[in-house]
Amino acid sequence: MTDRTPHQPRFVGARILRLEDPRLVSGQARHVDDLVLPGMLHLRLVRSQLAHATLASIDVSALHAGFPDALVFTGQDIGALGIRANSDLPSVQPCVQPILARERVRFVGEPVAAVLTTDSYSVEDAAETVFVDYDALPVLADIETALAPGAPAMFENWRGNLFIEQSRTGGDIAAARARARHVIRRTYRNQRQAGVPMECRGVIAALDPTGRILTVWSSTQIPHLMRTYLAQELNWQENRIHVIAPEVGGGFGVKGHVFAEDVLVAWLAIRTRRPIKWIEDRREHLIASIHAREHVHVLEAYVTAEGKILGLKADITVDVGAYSVWPFTAASDPGMVAKVLPGPYDIAAYEATYRAVATNKCPIGTYRGVGRPAAVFSQERLMNEIAIELGIDPITLRERNLIGQFPYTNILGYTYDKGSYAESLVKIRELVAPDVERARKPEKPHIRIGVGLALFLEQTAHGTPDFVRRRSPIETGYESAKVEMHPDATVSVDSGLQCHGQGHETTFAQLVADQLGILPADILVRHGNTVTSPYSVGTWGSRGITLGGGAAHRAAGIIRDKLIAIAAQHLQARPETIELADRQARVKGDPTRAIGVETLARWAQRNVENLPPGMEPGLIAISFVDGPPDGSYTNAVHAAVVEIDLSTGQIKLKRFVVVEDCGTIVNPMIVDGQVRGGVVQGIGSALWEHFVYDKDGQPLTTNFADYLLPSAPGLPDIEVHHIQTPSPVTPLGMKGLGEGGAIGPAAAIANAVENALGVPVQETPITPSRVWELIKKRKPIAAGGV
Amino acid sequence: MMQITLTVNGVTKALTVEPRRLLADVLRHEFGCYGVRFGCSHGACGCCTVHVDGQPRLSCIAFAVQCDGMSIATIEGMPKDGALHPLQQAFIAEHALQCGYCTPGFIMALAPFVERGTDPTDTEIRDAMSGNICRCTGYDGIVAAIRRAIGERKRVDSD
Ligand code: FES
Ligand code: FES
Repeated sequence: MTDRTPHQPRFVGARILRLEDPRLVSGQARHVDDLVLPGMLHLRLVRSQLAHATLASIDVSALHAGFPDALVFTGQDIGALGIRANSDLPSVQPCVQPILARERVRFVGEPVAAVLTTDSYSVEDAAETVFVDYDALPVLADIETALAPGAPAMFENWRGNLFIEQSRTGGDIAAARARARHVIRRTYRNQRQAGVPMECRGVIAALDPTGRILTVWSSTQIPHLMRTYLAQELNWQENRIHVIAPEVGGGFGVKGHVFAEDVLVAWLAIRTRRPIKWIEDRREHLIASIHAREHVHVLEAYVTAEGKILGLKADITVDVGAYSVWPFTAASDPGMVAKVLPGPYDIAAYEATYRAVATNKCPIGTYRGVGRPAAVFSQERLMNEIAIELGIDPITLRERNLIGQFPYTNILGYTYDKGSYAESLVKIRELVAPDVERARKPEKPHIRIGVGLALFLEQTAHGTPDFVRRRSPIETGYESAKVEMHPDATVSVDSGLQCHGQGHETTFAQLVADQLGILPADILVRHGNTVTSPYSVGTWGSRGITLGGGAAHRAAGIIRDKLIAIAAQHLQARPETIELADRQARVKGDPTRAIGVETLARWAQRNVENLPPGMEPGLIAISFVDGPPDGSYTNAVHAAVVEIDLSTGQIKLKRFVVVEDCGTIVNPMIVDGQVRGGVVQGIGSALWEHFVYDKDGQPLTTNFADYLLPSAPGLPDIEVHHIQTPSPVTPLGMKGLGEGGAIGPAAAIANAVENALGVPVQETPITPSRVWELIKKRKPIAAGGV
Repeated sequence: MMQITLTVNGVTKALTVEPRRLLADVLRHEFGCYGVRFGCSHGACGCCTVHVDGQPRLSCIAFAVQCDGMSIATIEGMPKDGALHPLQQAFIAEHALQCGYCTPGFIMALAPFVERGTDPTDTEIRDAMSGNICRCTGYDGIVAAIRRAIGERKRVDSD
């Protein structure tokens, strides 16, 4: 790349404390719920109590009698507005989620009516009085029921209950099967989960007094995409909609969607000409935002006597719930699995069929890792099962199948940039060697120790071609930044990304400070605001630092070049001999020839008569950076050490070790934090978190007593080790890393449990009762662990 | 409606409130303490933790009228003489927050633990954190921050 910083980086790579933290630790941050506007109405939604029913009638007479000032709107008022999230792949059956249900409801929690009053307490009372008469329909509560012959179709004009069924193939799978010595076939399942950022969703919308500008404050990860969607759906000009995401309390992909409530609140603000506020409560969040996972994979590997995988066949089914989500669509999770299953292995033949099944449950959306935690669970469980069946050490088996050379183009045509797959295995083997020893010789008769690992890739910073291939409404993969240096040499960076914990205000400042020879504290990074920033597709997909940071780095580079050109004239030196550092432009090796950056910034905007002849005034630059066509591939290996009590089924996680490679690290403290946070979410997926429905599609885990999140007791410290292999295809060699932590734990922990008990684990969450079932099947282990 | 008096971060106000109004809502909207946050509204996440007469309490499951005459401290009251509380500083130093939404609740729940003058093990620190959920950090940074703040307290004590 040509865009390396021309002098020694001072801040990139340093453990800089976060610039955003002082306001966050002192309660000064302001979220959507903290915003109060004059004349604001509070919205409460009446939500479906049945999983599948026709709406016979909605009776609002008690509401009008008891709350004469309340306003109420139903699907009849709002008409055809909806969430339309359909890719144009051939097998797609399109659907629309109505903003408020009209003839029919399709999951418990679906919005049915909107009630407005001036107070957040009275509006709940008022909404309680709306009487909805339902005629129950047969409930499609799971994949089997939905796919059974004769099952009622979820949408009119649908045949069967599939949003999509597609396949992806490469190489000669029949030949691979014919040549194989072993055919190993397994079924793996991952449970349904909820994403659960600690701040629930919230939206406020208000017209300005002229009625021309609609401002929407939303806890969204995708402000520009929301603006574009609202403009389309409400038929408004896009330049008259402002979307602002203020402080956002976590997202993890959940807030990377445009939801029915977003459209509804905007529509109500236009309709009533009053500011409208909707704040989701935790029960609503758990039952009716988006869910994640709920996969069934049937894998079949064709393997030689030495353990080389010749071919892999996969059948991938995901229970995606009642609707297709915007912009990722119902195809997102199953399609991701079909895309990434070959992983870090050199597999010459591949065939995957994937399908998204419609059921009467909350729609599945994107949650940290999107399909990859499930894909890696299946892939890495399968590697272990092949190793055990063939009597080969699991790490050796992986090494025999590993990709050796970069760049590598896989069987589906995706080119992997450069990684440290083999090195990371060597490193993890050393790190867990003492535990492997302990696992061989348990000290207590009723305690078993197990060590398991998961090796995986995380495709990050996907470029536009990756989205064009998906043919989903995302459409594009670039990111942008605007950098402006003011006359006092302070800098504003405007990013269209939205930051909800990633530390962009710090890392982007580090990148820009190095370019401009100033300090991170001189830089104010603003984000999440369509008014101030160029177009952006938002914060998701492990793309922020690579693409958004890359754009800030490049835009700052344009300003750097201009400052140097001004300095060159003044210092009578060639531009390439000048560096920016310590708030000065100076001739390298000659500290006496220097001029302050502040003087240059002032000349460029206030005393422009000092500029070189013909140079335009101003110090502002915008850069757009697209991702590499196939993204950049971060790699990692996770290892778990578990201790299982054979007398009770209790499982304790004793150690969790990560070796990861996200290329160039901008701030090691933030990288470690992202990895650790992701890992603990992944541990939650492996051991506890399970969103449960009964056979009538009624949700059973609707609060934090029933939906178990990881908490501090019982978790080990997460050990994080790094290898840095800069990417040759991204700015500064950075790769994304936001999701990786969450991808490996389910596989690593399941492999550890298998190692401890000698019984394969085919399903998550691995609860004590499931461990107890496994203990009953126990026999001595075949291959001696890692 | 009921008449009550609350003292919040040293400011005393007489208020007329509905008996069902949650303490959290009154702190937020009557006193402007927006650092008091709802994470669950059912007493299971610790986001809304404040001090009521010096004790950590969940303001999402307390009615304001129950606290009539009491003295309440929120995250906004933690800095002293313009300086952040040592636990607030330690949260920054140890990267104990990402989105920061849970952070005021953690700090209010654990400041008394830091101040109580004992020297806990990591297991005891984690147990003391059991009432608070953080979805971002994985907790390691928070454990380290508590450990750092206790170290700082011991240093000050021995000076
Ligand atoms: S908001 Fe009070 S405990 Fe969760
Ligand atoms: S920092 Fe986001 S929930 Fe704790």
